[in-house]
Amino acid sequence: MPMQNLAPPAPLWRPSGATKIELLASATVALVCVGLIVYPLFFLLAESINVGDPQNFPPKDIGIDNFIDLSLDLTVLLNTAYVAIAATAMAIAAGFVLAWILTRTNVPGKALLERLLEIPFYLTPLVGALAWSILAAPKSGFLNQLLVTVVGVSDLLDIYTPFGIAWVMALFEGTVAFVMISAVMKSMDPSLEESSRVTGAGKLRTLFKITLPLVLPGLLGAIVFVFAEMLGSFAAALVLGLPGRFFVVTTAIWQYTLSYPPEYGKASALGLALFGVMFATLSFYRWMVRRGTFATISGKAFQPRSIDMGRARYGLAAICWLYVFVAVILPIAALLLTSCLRFATVIVDQMSFTLQNYETALTLDAVRSALTNSLELGIGVATVGVFVMAVLVWIIYRSRLPGRGAVEYVVMFPQSVPRMVFGLALLTAWLNIPIPLYGTLWVLAIAYFTVLMPLGVRTLSGVVLQIDKSLEECAQVCGATWAYRMRTIAVPLLRPGLVAAWLLIFIASVREIGVSIYLMGPNSKVIAPAIVSSWSSAGTELTAAMAMIQTAAVLLAVLLLLSVTAKYFKGA
Amino acid sequence: MRQRILGLVGAASIFGLVAGNGQAQNAVCPSPNEVAGFRTCANIAKAEQEGKLVIYSTDVEQGQAKIVAAFSASFPKIKPTYVRALSASLYAKLQSERQAGQYLADLVNVDVVLANDFLKKNGYARYVSPQMAAFRSEFKSKPEGYFTWAQLAVAAIAYNPRLLAADQAPKAWGDILNPKYAGTMNVKSSNSGVQHFVWYTVREVMGKDFWKSLASQKPKAFDSYVQQYDRIVNGEDKIVIGAQYSGYLEFKAKGAPLDFIFPDQGVPASPQVWGVIDKAPNPEAARLFLDWFLSPIGQKVMQEALFLNSPRDDAVPPPGGVAASQHKLLFPSDWDGFLGSKREFNTEWDRITGLR
Repeated sequence: MPMQNLAPPAPLWRPSGATKIELLASATVALVCVGLIVYPLFFLLAESINVGDPQNFPPKDIGIDNFIDLSLDLTVLLNTAYVAIAATAMAIAAGFVLAWILTRTNVPGKALLERLLEIPFYLTPLVGALAWSILAAPKSGFLNQLLVTVVGVSDLLDIYTPFGIAWVMALFEGTVAFVMISAVMKSMDPSLEESSRVTGAGKLRTLFKITLPLVLPGLLGAIVFVFAEMLGSFAAALVLGLPGRFFVVTTAIWQYTLSYPPEYGKASALGLALFGVMFATLSFYRWMVRRGTFATISGKAFQPRSIDMGRARYGLAAICWLYVFVAVILPIAALLLTSCLRFATVIVDQMSFTLQNYETALTLDAVRSALTNSLELGIGVATVGVFVMAVLVWIIYRSRLPGRGAVEYVVMFPQSVPRMVFGLALLTAWLNIPIPLYGTLWVLAIAYFTVLMPLGVRTLSGVVLQIDKSLEECAQVCGATWAYRMRTIAVPLLRPGLVAAWLLIFIASVREIGVSIYLMGPNSKVIAPAIVSSWSSAGTELTAAMAMIQTAAVLLAVLLLLSVTAKYFKGA
Repeated sequence: MRQRILGLVGAASIFGLVAGNGQAQNAVCPSPNEVAGFRTCANIAKAEQEGKLVIYSTDVEQGQAKIVAAFSASFPKIKPTYVRALSASLYAKLQSERQAGQYLADLVNVDVVLANDFLKKNGYARYVSPQMAAFRSEFKSKPEGYFTWAQLAVAAIAYNPRLLAADQAPKAWGDILNPKYAGTMNVKSSNSGVQHFVWYTVREVMGKDFWKSLASQKPKAFDSYVQQYDRIVNGEDKIVIGAQYSGYLEFKAKGAPLDFIFPDQGVPASPQVWGVIDKAPNPEAARLFLDWFLSPIGQKVMQEALFLNSPRDDAVPPPGGVAASQHKLLFPSDWDGFLGSKREFNTEWDRITGLR
């Protein structure tokens, strides 16, 4: 995960002493990045002030009516805020508890639990939402049926509520909170906790009086970051919001763009409003990271040591296993069962089992070509992306090129733009750019590369910054050529980081939905939007089969890659 | 059936007016070829040379997959692909692409309002399929060849008899306003052409405020009949309003507990309209598919895949169902009013279903 790598910022502009070639290289890189990222947003801005025919571009009638109309969407804006705050609170609370247990205590099965907690990241929020709609629908959910049988009370759980949406978002998009907080806790000097214990404080008192204050800056950073992520969330709100007549900004944008005549102007204005909030939130996050002196990270070398929790460690392990059960085992089991039903029902005497759904799914374009396309795109974007992003990281953090700070800023910019909004911007842009890429896999590849740049650059920058320049300088002094230095020093040291970045970009590509949903064409279907389409038209049981096929394909690909590259991770 | 179809003469005049737009008038082929059991005017060698076919369709994914698989079985050298979405979404996508000069689709299937709009915008290429002789003139553009009604989605009310006893279920359109059904009903979203058709035709019978009154019943809106039926089968809802008869037949065939109500006031029969697109990248393959699809062979495949009624004169009922002619069908008496009501419908329906 990339978010823990808080690289120091490069200066925005440092022209003194730069050669013409360096200036040209900088300008070229900056222009390409601006072209990929800022140019589509210009189209979005233009669309937001279009008050005439929504399909006219450039707009003929200009005004601010679409922004004034935002007041009509006040409920949608409030809904979005509510869900984002609730999901952030749950994700942070769970992330903190799990991170503390797995990094600061001697809980048994730590390594296995850490791996299992990563699985929701592979499952995707869409699959999670589908699974939880099967589990906790008020009348037909498996859990409610169980409660009726055991307790005799019906409709106890209702996933089609704002809380239900937030719950699924926290479970499947909140993994990042666990990763960020874990990173902070791992970098904390344990001697501070030990001092507290030596002076007689109990374990809980140490947790609240020492650990919590020490990780507070990192925790605040995680809160702000996760909140921004939750604001742009789409899949869970789509699957679980519609049955409850509950719309957030992303699902309202989706509805506006699906209608005819399409309300691109309103969707763009709503998207820009969300972008504004997200941009402000992430700017605040960046400001905190730049300004923050993390008291937890001392210059002194230390050995991370775990607190001996005695017999309580089994209770703590149970908490972790409960999370794994709720976020991994239960959803997968529900999807598997539903995918084998002739029609989705929890009434046992109506259940009729079949493998027909898998057979049907494999005849659909949505699975056959879409899954192949997704895997091809994942491999292509990850392979090219890692190379290009490594060059960008080198420019930003290792070169003396002027304006490298500006390049960093532009590269990280897509993080502030909700995926749905960026997808809409890319749709408008690529439909109107006179290069016939719309409707091809190429446009999806470019879009994925663009939106995944922050992820790749963050991951790689963490690795690059850990490698001391003096290693290369030593070799240079000893007479090694640049190529020899790269082959014998830089590449071997970077390899685990490059593989990790490749894997992250691959998974993020295969599960991508926000931009794909707008850019997918008849010959360029990809799996996540295809599952959304299936969910809306093909029935729960068939969609469950498709979700299982997608999940299995991603997990298999990840396992295959990990086994092939296992040797590169040794000692990393 | 002819006596029961209200307003089709009006429809014909509307289509006649808009079709006189200066496009090619002579696209009738005098001597069609018999191939694979149907007659076609398409150049098969050319169609196979094109080798591809892109269909934009509102039909559900699994049904569309069966249709293109059956076509491919007869013409293995042509590889059909499709994009599936609701009528409004599909048309918005198609129009955005065309506006930007991107021509990806060969054939399109949308609702009659959007088909009419597309015709006005010269979106269709004229091709008079030899199969069109089997469709009455009210079901075709004037002049014929731009679009044809190729499917009829009959829609009314369905419920789950395990959750609602027959004597407790609604019998007429007016019954759905009974407060005892509050919070138990679902409808389609405003992006659905069928829902727009139901809204307009039932409103003509029940009065202008009928649907507005439904808002207090808090119906939930979904994108397809599959979701609607899923929810009454699994007990989340009890009643589907604007329920597609085809969906009822499909779920019933799987053994789902369902009953269907045909209110005495009549049932809307929303046409699904097909036509070849102007500037289609694979025009011969599109013509060949249209001929096959409108033929008895294609219509049979369509009925088996989707359970929709066929508008052909010689149509048989869908599997397990009855012919459309057995019902009192509702069509708009004022086609002009219907064709111009899309925006009003969007706004009103979004309010009823809680988007605004």
